Parts: sequence; structure tokens; C-alpha cells
Amino acid sequence: MMQRLSYALRETIASFRRNVTLSVAAVITSAVSLLLVGTTFLIQRAFDNLLVQWRGDVGMIVFVRPDVTPEALAFIKQNLESQPNVIDVKKLEYLDKAQSYAEAQRVFAGDPTTLSLLSVDTIPSQFKVVPTTTDPELVRSLANQYRTLPGVAGVSLAEDEFDVISTLSGFVRTVTIGMSLVLLAVAVILIWNTIRTAIFARRREIEVMKLVGATDWFIRVPFILEGLIQGLAGAIVSCGGLWALNRAWTSGVAGFKAGTGVSSLVVPGSYVNGIMIALLVIGAVAGGVGSGVASSKFLDV
Amino acid sequence: MIRLENVSKMYGTEIPAVRDASFDVPKGEFVFLVGQSGSGKSTLLRLINRQERPERGNVWVAGRNINEMANSQIPYLRRSMGNVFQDYKLLTNKTVFENVAFALEVIGKPKHVIGQQVPQVLDLVGLSGKEDRFPHQLSGGEQQRVSIARAFVNRPLILLADEPTGNLDPATGEGIMGLLDAINRTGTTIVMATHDHRVVNAMRRRVIQLDRGVIVRDQERGVYE
Repeated sequence: MMQRLSYALRETIASFRRNVTLSVAAVITSAVSLLLVGTTFLIQRAFDNLLVQWRGDVGMIVFVRPDVTPEALAFIKQNLESQPNVIDVKKLEYLDKAQSYAEAQRVFAGDPTTLSLLSVDTIPSQFKVVPTTTDPELVRSLANQYRTLPGVAGVSLAEDEFDVISTLSGFVRTVTIGMSLVLLAVAVILIWNTIRTAIFARRREIEVMKLVGATDWFIRVPFILEGLIQGLAGAIVSCGGLWALNRAWTSGVAGFKAGTGVSSLVVPGSYVNGIMIALLVIGAVAGGVGSGVASSKFLDV
Repeated sequence: MIRLENVSKMYGTEIPAVRDASFDVPKGEFVFLVGQSGSGKSTLLRLINRQERPERGNVWVAGRNINEMANSQIPYLRRSMGNVFQDYKLLTNKTVFENVAFALEVIGKPKHVIGQQVPQVLDLVGLSGKEDRFPHQLSGGEQQRVSIARAFVNRPLILLADEPTGNLDPATGEGIMGLLDAINRTGTTIVMATHDHRVVNAMRRRVIQLDRGVIVRDQERGVYE
């Protein structure tokens, strides 16, 4: 077993050397495409952070003062529920202080100063309101009405805060996903072609191997391994790129004024680590698939 | 050891390369397949090691119908056969020792077995002392000896040789025939395709003659004609 493993590894390295140019091209292409895939994830997550408080068609948020009396809170709720022709009462949601605090962790991910000022005790709780009307004026007048209620700290409208961002997010998502899919396909094809070339370069050897009774898998494994390593190498490079990119972005965002909302566009390290693992897996699988297909297609007797 | 039953093989839709061929080769026999170029000699060999499958008929090797064998079994069938070719098919970037060792390595033989069997077989073919040469540093006859060593190192039951003396001068060819004869006397069945009438006439073994894919003669202790 060890002997077979060492044989496969030796052949893989030898083949990689023989085909340096093509191998490097395959690695770079997979690195670029995977970097784009990773960036797509990052951008997505950043926009998600920004939009998390508006998720699920929420059109208006009524913030309630942290020191509100239970009576005032009940009054606000009752007031909201008394408007079934403008507000989708079933979707009305109340986030208490703890839930609001958890949400703020994401909204202010890139703004540690603001975050440090917040605590479960001092944060406003909130009603998430889903309007049934599409008339912005109606929603706006409703908001003005609620601002005057006792215990209400403020009212935010989705229209003011995120319509542009939401549209932008959708556009960026479509473009980056499309581009990364195309590049990923290119990477797979390049790896496939590299392996085909490697097989062609060794066709005499393969012919002899078949005649002396080497099994198909024995012949195939070094080639599949080669493609897998190319994909993985590309993924490792892309992880480095992604790390550097996120670092530069995070420190860049820190330069913006607090409260502009841009600070939400920061993605914390743990999520980035998750993306990197995903990239390694995607890279290895793409490489393995490309070389696997090539080796079963071109190694037939 | 080898049995063909009414075997026909076509390439494309044109005249068959082999038509209705039947013969039986007992264990330990030495058989010449003779005939002009294109008469189907090589095709018969390729049918025996299952590089080709016949359109009709059955090929039996060591008691097994190889046309009914699963593809995954073919490597194990091939381990019981050695192949020798007119153009040697040596790997030019490997030494004599490595070329022979390669045949054992790729079927997963452990290192100590390789270290023991390769020098033995190189000694048998008369190449002791040339282990570290590369194929281009050897004469044609020596290269063919390496190829025979590679075919025989795993002690196969059958040796298939396709024009092994085709590229060699008569004296060198004679040496190769002596070697094949020696291997045959160890009990290895040999089927050799050739159109070299000198070696056939000198050896006086069974001769199967093909003409445009048809067996026209099957003679014990025959000559080329």
C-alpha cells in the first residue's frame, strides 16, 4: 500500500514538472476563479449584515425606548395591530432587548466603538413592521403618527435606508456569481486539458502499463491526484488573496465615519475562515472532477 | 492453454481481418503464426491478450473465456502473459533495470521481490552488467532482450511475440530465437507472429499460416514455405 502511494506521488510530481507551464496556468485560473467565488460570498455576507434588520419585507421599524413602561409598550403594540388594512399584522414581529442586541452585533460588525456603547440594557427594542400597502406616502404618514406615541424612540423606513443598497446588492450578486461560475468552468476545463496533455505525454508508458497488467485505477490515480492538487493549490492561493482582501477592506471601512452604515459591510474573521474552507473543498473537487473525467475519457484501451 | 473457436474480427465493415479462425495451443507449445503483412497475424495476438474483441467466436485462455471477462479482470489476465514487439516498446527515459522493474512495480510487487527477480531475468537474457544503460545505448538485439526480460520477469504462462526479429539482422535474430527457445523450455507457451522464413525453418515448430485472415495451414514441425 505504502509502495503504491509513493509510486502515485512520485508520478504526480514528475508529471507536474514535465508540464510546468500548463500546470501553472491551471493553478492561476483556479485561484482567480475561486478568489471571485470567495469575494462573492464576502460581498453577499456584507450586504446581508447591512440588510439583516430589514429581512422579510420589513418596511418600517419602530424603535422602543429601553426604559419603556409595560403599559406604553402594550399601547404601541395595540396601535400597530389596529391598522390591519395598512400593516400585515400576522407578520408583525417584536424583538426584545436581547434579540435586538444580537442583531446589532451584525449591523455594527465593523464599528466596534458603537458596539461597545451598546448593552442589552441600553439598547432599544423594536417592532418590525411589514406594510401591506405599496404607497410610500401612506407608510410615511403612519411613521409620523407612531413617532409621537409615548415610549417610541424613533421610526426608520426601509425606503430611506436600503432600497438603493438592496438593488445594488442584487446586481452585484448576479454579476459576481455569474463571473465566478464562468471562471470556475474555465478552471475545470484547463485542468482537464492539462491532464489530457499529461496523459498524451505518457501514452507509451501507459500502453506498457496496460500490457503488463496494471489496473486502470493504478494508472489513473496519479493523474487524478495531479488535477486535485492543481485545484487545491489554486484554492490555497485564493485563500491568501481573500484574507488580504478582507483585511484591506476592514481597515479601509474603519476610516469611514461611524453611523454611515458602511461599517456594517465588514465580515468577521470566523465567517471568512468558513469561506476559505469552502474554497479549499471547491478547488479540490473541481480539480478532481476535471482530471477524473479526463483520465477516464483518455485512458480507455 | 489458448483456444480459438470460430473467431472473426472485422475492422470497420470491410473484409474481415480474421475469419472463422479455430485452433488450440496446448501448454508449453511453441507456435509460429506466419503470413504476409496484413494477413491477420497481429490481430490474432491482439485477440489473445484482449486488446481486441472478436465480432464472432470465443477466445479461451487458461480455461477462461476472455470475451466474457469483466473489464476489471483484464489486468489480471494480462499478468499471465508477456508481450514482445518488433519495436521493443521500451521506455527511453528509464534504464534497463528500471524498464524491467517497471513491469513488476505497476502490478504492485514489493521492492524486495523486484530487487531479486530483475537481476535474475537480466542474467537469463544475457544483459548482466548493463543494468544502468539506457535503451539508446544498446544495440537492437540488446533492446529486444530487455523487452523479453520485461515480458518474462513475472514468469507468465504465455509469451506473445509480434515480429520480434523483424528489426534485427539474421545473426542477432538467431540469438533472440535461442532465448525464446530457452524460455519455451521452462514450460512457457509461446505464440510468435513472423514473416521471417529463416527462423521458422530453423526452429521446426508448429506453423499456422494465414492468408487474408483465413487459416490456410496448421502443421506440426512445419516450415515457412
